[in-house]
Amino acid sequence: SPPEKPTIIKCRSPEKETFTCWWKPGSNGGHPTNHTLLYSKEGEEKVYECPDYKTAGPNSCYFDKKHTSFWTIYNITVRATNEIGSNVSDPHYVDVTYIVQPDPPVNITLELKKSVNRKPYLVLTWSPPPLADVRSGWLTLEYELRLKPEEGEEWETIFVGQQTQCKMFSLNPGKRYIVQIHCKPDHHGSWSEWSPEMYIQIPTDFRVKD
Amino acid sequence: LPICPNGSINCQVSLEELFDRAVKLSHYIHSLSSDIFNEFDERYAQGRGFIAKAVNGCHTSSLTTPEDKEQAQQIHHEDLLNLVLGVLRSWNDPLVHLASEVQSIKEAPETILWKAVEIEEQNKRLLEGMEKIVGRLHSGEVGNEIYSPWEGLPSLQLPDEDSRLFAFYNLLHCLRRDSHKIDNYLKLLKCRLIHDNNC
Repeated sequence: SPPEKPTIIKCRSPEKETFTCWWKPGSNGGHPTNHTLLYSKEGEEKVYECPDYKTAGPNSCYFDKKHTSFWTIYNITVRATNEIGSNVSDPHYVDVTYIVQPDPPVNITLELKKSVNRKPYLVLTWSPPPLADVRSGWLTLEYELRLKPEEGEEWETIFVGQQTQCKMFSLNPGKRYIVQIHCKPDHHGSWSEWSPEMYIQIPTDFRVKD
Repeated sequence: LPICPNGSINCQVSLEELFDRAVKLSHYIHSLSSDIFNEFDERYAQGRGFIAKAVNGCHTSSLTTPEDKEQAQQIHHEDLLNLVLGVLRSWNDPLVHLASEVQSIKEAPETILWKAVEIEEQNKRLLEGMEKIVGRLHSGEVGNEIYSPWEGLPSLQLPDEDSRLFAFYNLLHCLRRDSHKIDNYLKLLKCRLIHDNNC
């Protein structure tokens, strides 16, 4: 029989410059089946084929910078074909502006400090993911960090806006904390994965001296 | 915050401060535009397939604006500023009518009504601010050429509800898009002109 129609499962841009779409094939009807991704762009009649089936792995299409436009709706479909016939996925409408999911922040540092009035605190610093061009202003990222005592259950989550450092007071002396950070574009798109867990041991004498 | 601290006569707000205010305002306007679109979409557009029809473009489509990072970085800042002015001007008229016509939508929630009025007012403020910035950068001249007329009022008043709702949907979709462009371009310009591309 002809193959079942495939399903476009996700499109994502990691740095608001390129994007990738993935699809899930349906059953192949018992015959070798190949897939073709076709797309048209808002305001154009022309239909294009996927520029690169390889870079992002099987069942995917990678759109490099030259093939990526913002504030433009892409109408994307995937066609499955075998020797009996073919079937086309439902259309998937994408504006790359809204599918940006950055990589996690990097270069996270944790440092215990004491201020002039001897109040101890923890300084966290981090950098944007390397792929994200925040320097030019093309992409603006916001950050959120979470921490909890190692044996604790509840994370405390703190939104820190666009800054890349944060001071934390009132940590419990003698506790070992886990810290993670993630980021997201300032308006649209989704949060990155959390950064790898970082640990910090708060000394027992980490106390405000009277 | 006194504009002219203790008696200095001919003081001006710095270009950096003007850009700071403009970016704060453009960020706010886009957040409102996003909220009003999402609210309208959830309440009136579910299952109507409006997005497929929304690809006929916006009334500002005739303005050739940068569509990716490379284009946005290669364009001269004067041209990009004038494009921002042109897009802002092109939204004055539709925002006036949006704020009034949205009252006629069946059971339009107060939050949609309030946001439509707020966006109209803030768009005017941003336009004034941008004209100051352009005036400051181009020593007084403020080009007035870029403008894209909007002829969508009749479609906001159509008797057929589905067509009328699609007209609102498309207008809000375009507002969300254009306000995001303006916000993005202003952040780029601020980084380029104020922070030497080192934000």
